[in-house]
Amino acid sequence: MRALSRVASRVASRALVALACATALATPLSSSATPIAPTSDDEVIDVLPAVTGDRAEARRLRKQLTQTPRDAALALAVARRYLDQAHELGDPRFAGMAMSAIDPWRDDATMPDDVLLMRATLQQYLHEFDASAASLQRLLARPGLPRPQAWLTLATVRRVQGRYAESDTACRQVATAGAALHANACLAENLALRGDVDRARATFTALLADSRQPPATRAWLTTSLAELEQRAGHAQAAEAAFQAALKLDPDAYTALDYADFLIEQKRPAQALAMLKDQPRSDAVLLRLAIAGTQAKAPSAASDVAEMRERIALANERPDAKLFHGREQAMFALAVDADAAKALDLARGNVAQQREPLDLFVLAQAARASGQAAAIEQAKRLTGEIGLVDQRIKAIL
Amino acid sequence: MKAQLVRWLLGAALLVFGGLAQAHKASDSYLQVDAGAKGTTVRWDIALRDLDAALDIDTNEDGKLTWGEVKTAWPRIEAYALPRLKIEGCALRPTGQALERRNDGAYAVMMLASDCVLKSAPVITYSLFREIDPTHRGIAKVQLAGQPLSLTMLDPSRGGAAPTAGAASAGAPEHIAPSGALGFLREGIRHILTGYDHVLFLLCLLLPSVMRRTPQGWRPVEKLSQAVWPVVGIVSAFTVAHSITLGLAALKLVSLPPSFIEPAIAVTIILAALDNVWPIFPVPRVVVTFFFGLIHGFGFAGVLGELNLPPAQFAWALLEFNVGLELGQLMIVVCVTALLFMLRERTHYRGWVVRGGSYAAILVGMLWLIERTANVSLMPF
Repeated sequence: MRALSRVASRVASRALVALACATALATPLSSSATPIAPTSDDEVIDVLPAVTGDRAEARRLRKQLTQTPRDAALALAVARRYLDQAHELGDPRFAGMAMSAIDPWRDDATMPDDVLLMRATLQQYLHEFDASAASLQRLLARPGLPRPQAWLTLATVRRVQGRYAESDTACRQVATAGAALHANACLAENLALRGDVDRARATFTALLADSRQPPATRAWLTTSLAELEQRAGHAQAAEAAFQAALKLDPDAYTALDYADFLIEQKRPAQALAMLKDQPRSDAVLLRLAIAGTQAKAPSAASDVAEMRERIALANERPDAKLFHGREQAMFALAVDADAAKALDLARGNVAQQREPLDLFVLAQAARASGQAAAIEQAKRLTGEIGLVDQRIKAIL
Repeated sequence: MKAQLVRWLLGAALLVFGGLAQAHKASDSYLQVDAGAKGTTVRWDIALRDLDAALDIDTNEDGKLTWGEVKTAWPRIEAYALPRLKIEGCALRPTGQALERRNDGAYAVMMLASDCVLKSAPVITYSLFREIDPTHRGIAKVQLAGQPLSLTMLDPSRGGAAPTAGAASAGAPEHIAPSGALGFLREGIRHILTGYDHVLFLLCLLLPSVMRRTPQGWRPVEKLSQAVWPVVGIVSAFTVAHSITLGLAALKLVSLPPSFIEPAIAVTIILAALDNVWPIFPVPRVVVTFFFGLIHGFGFAGVLGELNLPPAQFAWALLEFNVGLELGQLMIVVCVTALLFMLRERTHYRGWVVRGGSYAAILVGMLWLIERTANVSLMPF
């Protein structure tokens, strides 16, 4: 009987989703588009996204590349600029543009090493994890100098996919390739994910004791430490580590990560304060919407509306849920309190992305839905991956 | 060397962070194709920031696009965009321009029109921004008169023609694969499910399948297996036969005019229904089904011609379309056979279902025959 009602509720929720999609389709184009009627030539219609460095210089490089498209050094320089921009602004359009810079190389066998590595990196950015790993393995199978960078990227891709054993193997190759610090941090990260918190913490602490490391490296290690404590349920230690990391290098990633921690700790007002000056990327806006809703902040309504509009716009691409599954699940859960929809999205998301946050969102959605099978699925998947996360344990 | 290695590795470390920050909308353009009785209009929205990447609209390089800059660049925008969109059979001419604001920035809006009249989902060839951003897509909404809105993703890096997913219903956009992959499979399923003449022909053949012919007339079968084997035989004969002619016609080896095929299909229905009431065929039904199946195959091929199969993947598309037909046919056969088997013992089965159904089929077949030979419209479908 319960199984039957579960099926019925799933059918009903599917039907609702289909209905919603039909409604969206029936609306002529996007309802969010409003006409612009400029009144003078000086009126600014649009502001272009910031560029890394000088705009004229960026254009000069691009023009040069159009004239000599097979100049690998130039293509890589252009691609790297775009990738930096994609990271800074959280804007995947630039990853696409970087992809086009290396487009003249189509044949895997003859593609220069650096171009192949760039392609793998871009594929990773675009969440094409299997393709990225395949590119990296192709590069690593080539004879030549040791390739610590490629191994480290492969370790990261495998970790994101929840394939820790393969990630370990790649981490060890980073050491063989001569980058001891990164290899140790890489292995410690995997240890921490598996719940071997004490050994992982000892490694990070030892690596941080070397004060010759540049601040950016120390910030990265400290953020790893903060995440470890967060997953282990040590709120105070996590708090201290996040603060320390932000002091070393206040980058956008750490700010977001800390905001998630603050939201988890039911301190939404502080999360809002943390993010209010960040560029409003989708990830930032999502947290503003969630924290604003929870804190009942005056800004919440407009942030929620804007995020909802962005999701609707992104979903005009039929495959959008593949790339935005995590964010959309978080929004459905925390803002709309729509457990069934969140569960659907979270399930789709973990098919490709399996970082702790992805599993945590799946677990939360499963718990909120009250479906025994969903809770069981989240438990089983967490177990299969080998992830040990006290936050997940507490709700499953 | 060491310093460079550290920078590289730091880059790698930063990549871990990519996952969280990435969630902005990718580059899309929006196409609204409205096919009317007198002509076709297209509204095409393209992001100004994407156009700037291709055309350097921001002439003073201050990072701001003013109305003056956009206005000056408009002829270049049209000259760049228009050759990168082709709707088969339609010569598009610009008829108007506008600007609009969307969530992710300002868009140039181009109004286009053509005198072409689209009867079925057109082939759209799309290569906008192919050299700028291979992840760019065109999102096309195609509205044909009296049909549900269909949604298609156009992938410029595929270069070739993308058939629009005419079969996709508005209710299930998530099932539309990029650029209409498996589109012909759906087209095949749709064609058999909405091709009432093929369905009716199948029904006529199936009606008596839960009965067997005895010297005393039709008698219900005792076991399901007695019904299943004749059904399998008939369906296989129909499938093999229409696959043969569909293939021959699609490869342009044999061609028969629709003016002959369409009435002939109506005749097959009349004859099959007649045989249910009075045995008229001198040979087993399987043999008859095979010959009639050959005729229906030409009917399917007619639709295939309208679909404009891409020559590059011709064989594949043909296979997809045929597999779609068979899937749709299987759905009908399974449902109908199960239903008829349950009803077969009812006292009135023979009288009402077999006889009544067959008479109705004969009537419809006759009307179709008249419609298709006299070229008049008698029925709503």
